[in-house]
Order: sequence, then structure tokens, then C-alpha cells
Amino acid sequence: MTMPLVELPHARRYPPRVTDFTRSFWEALAEGRFLVTRCEACARHSFPPKPICPHCWTDAIVWEEQTTEGHIYSWTRVHAGPAIFEADLPYAIGIVDLDCGVRLACPLVGDALWACGMSVELVRIRYTDGPFFGAQAKKVSHN
Amino acid sequence: MSPRPVIIGCSALPVSRYQTPNDAETHVLEHELLARLVIDAMADSGAERSRVGAIVVAQPRPYTRQQYFSTFMTSYLRIPCDGIVMEVLGNGLTGALAFDKALDEVALGRAEVALALGINMETATSARDHMMESMRKTGDVDFHAPAGFTPISWYALDMQRYMFEHGVSRAQVAAVAVKNRAHAMHNPLAQFRKPITLDEVLAQRPIVEPLGLYEVPPRGDGAACVVIASEDYARRQGLPHVIVRSRAFHHEGVHQIGDVPADMIAFAAAAKAAKAGFEAAGLGPEAVDLAELYAPCTIVEVLASEAAGFVPKGQGAHAAVSGMTSLGGKIPLSTSGGLTSRGHPSYATPLYSVVELFDQLRGRAGARQVERARIGFLMNELGNYNAALVHVLEAAT
Repeated sequence: MTMPLVELPHARRYPPRVTDFTRSFWEALAEGRFLVTRCEACARHSFPPKPICPHCWTDAIVWEEQTTEGHIYSWTRVHAGPAIFEADLPYAIGIVDLDCGVRLACPLVGDALWACGMSVELVRIRYTDGPFFGAQAKKVSHN
Repeated sequence: MSPRPVIIGCSALPVSRYQTPNDAETHVLEHELLARLVIDAMADSGAERSRVGAIVVAQPRPYTRQQYFSTFMTSYLRIPCDGIVMEVLGNGLTGALAFDKALDEVALGRAEVALALGINMETATSARDHMMESMRKTGDVDFHAPAGFTPISWYALDMQRYMFEHGVSRAQVAAVAVKNRAHAMHNPLAQFRKPITLDEVLAQRPIVEPLGLYEVPPRGDGAACVVIASEDYARRQGLPHVIVRSRAFHHEGVHQIGDVPADMIAFAAAAKAAKAGFEAAGLGPEAVDLAELYAPCTIVEVLASEAAGFVPKGQGAHAAVSGMTSLGGKIPLSTSGGLTSRGHPSYATPLYSVVELFDQLRGRAGARQVERARIGFLMNELGNYNAALVHVLEAAT
């Protein structure tokens, strides 16, 4: 399943660094696929992606595409932020628990009435200089 | 048996705005302020200067211009040491680590008298510029900082979750700010001493929803020095002192957010360290006369007080509303005024909490004195950064 696309007409305010290892994550994200690392030895996920398993310290790591639906564990809207985020103020951020059992923290995209427990889906955000991921209120399906 | 460390003296600057801008004609210098404090603290303790064998300095934020403060101050005050001269750094725990390390130097027998000190000068740097630095101190710099997380945004996340799980309102949690301001009124070291009402707290501009300006820490400059000695030395010299009855620490191995769902508002590290600290002291939360908690935001005092076992889960805000955690209540929390009113000169902050407990347990806290205070609980914990350091203090009889 391809993640919904959100386009923003400016560069990322604080671009993440890409390593030989995390390049797989960022390139997949740009194509709309959300990858996490999974350890082949102990089968546990890790996120942000890591080249070693934090649990059993092996480097038998594989990339695994995840479903991107989940719910908000908690959220806030930042009204006083770092200088480089000034144009975005106020902006919402949250902690999202994905249905696949992964917890992550990311920007909340759109003007929803954010609430703990609310259903969301991950989106890929296309900035002018590269991708990042966020979550938006889950669109009601009419199929 | 290894020597038991005790606190014998202290001194602190009222938390305020001291730092001068770079282009000021006349400057306020950090070392001039701190040197005087060390002399005041030593005078307060009655210890001999020649017995000081260790100096542990809380590393200042980078905006404090003078750096390598430990060797610099050792030179400024001409204090040769055989134990250690060093700076420590560890997130918001920094001042507490200076205290903890100074205790260790005495407990290890390396120093008969040890100093824990710290200064923070940052108010000439604007909040928006300061956050350019602090945003790199949250979560993973490549996966969280790009989203605009700031340190206190994590506490706002705790707050939203707490309100959701326990059906508690923002106003109920905000009672902590009103209560702590009432405490600060009586503390000459506090940055904000004018009483505030709940309506005023709720009317402030939002900072990180739902927390407004009075529910998050103000920015401030400050400095404190604590003098520690072996119990044997204090008794030999006849120096009044406060005993460090126990110490405990825990970190769960999670930095702000794990990769699987967990109960973020349980403050599990704080709960574990508090339990261990109580066990080592041979007493429980009911025996504590007052506690100083490292709580940058109102919600943190609520969560930390629940984790430590002073208040049942979900009752921390109600305890502030009912007066249970006020001066005169069952378990007074943050009699200094806490971080929102006493002030939060960053890395020096935990040393101010030691100063408060020392003054209370010595019975010299003036109008905010807790009657017959004998056991003080000091907890410096990092919320979702997940480290907690506990010291149980006891008045010497």
C-alpha cells in the first residue's frame, strides 16, 4: 500500500542526515513505503531504523514494510519553537502507535481536532529537498 | 565502614536574570558570582578551607562564556585537591550529578570536605535561539528534531495523555503552579514571588498545548554551592549537618520514546529509583516530611509525585487542588516554589533543591518552614528522558 502524499512548497526545516544504512528507509519513504528494521535473530522491530538490534545486539537486520495505520497515543501543538520552525508555528506533533506494534513520534499533518486514541495513517511529506513522514487523520473509506 | 557523607553548608543566588548581552558596557561575570558563593557556603558550613579535597561543578550551558569551570574555579579560589576536580553533565540531572559525585568523593574517603557547585547564565540568549540548541536534545536528532520536537513538548505529550486517561482537566493540573507560587512567596531565592490565581495561569499564552506560560519553566540565571563532609568530620568539628540517608538511581534503557507502546506517564524510572531509595533508607513515603521534585512543568510534579508513591495514580492533580501537597498539607511538595516559580537556572537547578531541603531540615526556612521536618526526599528525574536519581535526607539529631 502506498502512503498518501502531502506536498509542501518549502525545504525541510531541519533535514535528517542519511547514512549508507538509513538510505533504504528514506528512499522507500520517497516512494510511499514505510520501512522499519526487524531482527532476524529475535524477530523484534526497531524504530528509528538501526543497523544493529538493540535487544540482542546482532546485525542480522532486515527491512520490513509496515502497515501505516494506527492511533494517536498523545499529541501537542507547539506555539513556541526553535527559530527555524517559526514559519510553521503553531504546529502539531504526536506519538503514534501503529497497528503493527511500532511506536513513533512525528508531525501531525492537517487541521484535524487531534485527540488521544484518534485513528490516523502515516503520510509521506514531499518537501522541496526531500521526504519526511507524518500522520494525518484517517480518511473514511467509501469503497 | 566507608565514611557517611553529610551536608554541612550551602549558599545560592536568588534566581533572576543576571546575564548581560555581548555588547553591554558593563558585564556580570559568572566566576565573580560563583566565587563569592563558594566563600559564603564555606562560611555557612564552618569547615576549614584546607580540608576541601574535591570540587565537582555542574557544567554550564554553552552560553556561559567561561568554560572548563572546575579547574578554572579551583585556580580562582586557590583550592588544591587530592580527590577530584571535574565538571559533570547529564541532561537535567547535571546539578544532581555534581551533588552525587561530591557525596561519592567523601564516601570513598578521597575528601573530607567536598564542594558541589554550579552556575547557569543563559538569559541573554532568546528562547527561540536557545531552542535551536535544545531541539537537538530531544529524541533522535535525525528522526525527531526534523519534526520540531522541543524538550518541553514531551511534557505536553505527557499532559495530554494524563488528562485523557484520568479525566483530569488542565485547570486541576494547573493548581500545581498556583500552589508552588504560594510557596515561592516565602522563598528569597525564588525568581517569581508575586501570588497568582488559577485564572491568571489559565489565561497565559499557550506554549505547548495544553500548557501555557505559567505551566512551563521560566528561563533564569542562578548559581548554588553545597558543602559536603564526612559525618565524622562534621561531628568532630561540631558542625550542624543533614545526613544523606540513602541514594538510588534507575534508567530503563529508553530515551524519551521506545519503539513499542509503553505507559509513558508511569515515569517507571522514577518509580523504581524512589522505591529503591526508600528501601535503602528503611522507610516509606509516609515517613517523608517534604519533597523537592525536579519538575519543569506542572504535570511533571503530578507524575513524579505519583511515581514516588506520595499520591495514588491519577490523584496528583487532585492533591494539589485539595492542599495535600501544600505547605501545611500532608506531604508538602516543592516548598521552594519549584521550577515554575523558584526558577529553573538549568543545570544548576537540582542544587537549589538540595539547598531547600538543607534549609528545611536545619529548621531555617523561615515563613515556609515545614514544622518538625526530619525526612526530606530529593528526586531529580528526567521524565521521558528516563533517568531518576533519588536521595533521602535526614536532619541530624
